[in-house]
Amino acid sequence: MAAAPPSSAPGGPEPPPGPPLQYSMLLQHLVGEQRRPRAWDPATFGGIPIPPKSEEQKMVERVMESCPFKAALACVGGFVLGGAFGVFTAGIDTNVGFDPKDPYRTPTAKEVLQDMGQRGISYAKNFAIVGAMFSCTECVVESYRGKSDWKNSVISGCITGGAIGFRAGLKAGVIGCGGFAAFSAAIDYYLR
Amino acid sequence: MDPLRAQQLAAELEVDMMADMYNRMTQACHRKCVPPHYKDAELSKGESVCLDRCVAKYLEVHERMGKKLTELSLQDEELLRRMQQGTGTA
Repeated sequence: MAAAPPSSAPGGPEPPPGPPLQYSMLLQHLVGEQRRPRAWDPATFGGIPIPPKSEEQKMVERVMESCPFKAALACVGGFVLGGAFGVFTAGIDTNVGFDPKDPYRTPTAKEVLQDMGQRGISYAKNFAIVGAMFSCTECVVESYRGKSDWKNSVISGCITGGAIGFRAGLKAGVIGCGGFAAFSAAIDYYLR
Repeated sequence: MDPLRAQQLAAELEVDMMADMYNRMTQACHRKCVPPHYKDAELSKGESVCLDRCVAKYLEVHERMGKKLTELSLQDEELLRRMQQGTGTA
């Protein structure tokens, strides 16, 4: 596109017409092959100048937002919570320390504590696995969709519940999917 | 038009162009990726991922449009030159 320079106001003296503006050459210098690469300072672009983030800060933030870190965090949290829950339920359970050979014998304190510990560990492992799976799938689904709303937790709840229940058959998988999805939707609704 | 003058003009215009592009890109990507719910001050994972993708696409579109526009302006100038040659020799 070539353009002639604009004419002056009517009645005034006309300036002599200059050479036409060659847009193609100008564009090549602006966005094409002849563009010189420049160092743009992102702090000067926006309206409010902010100090740029250092490389270490960016790396730390990237690690803390990543999916494996979130899954590991949920795993550890689930382990602690599961351990506490297991020990608590073992405390209110009357069958702890039950000896099948001699049902009327009062179990010793050592046996009861061992049983409580085992139960706590087993609950803790289950909770840790479930928590890690749920957190991992939720992070992956959220990264794929690019949105953060209630559907992420429902979808990942269905996947986690389905994966857990699928080991006991297809119907248990479907029930697990629905149940876990409803549970995570309720928790999400409560938290938002 | 000599290349040196074109380069000087481009250097002046580039700052304006970059600032304008940055403003438009921020507005467009904010409208697309950040829903107006504001329960939390931090950007969530989904929103950060969406913003990364939005900026990458915007810059790619900007580059392609610039190349296409350069092509079209070359064609236009070719046409104008042929017309001028035609009237010159006529």
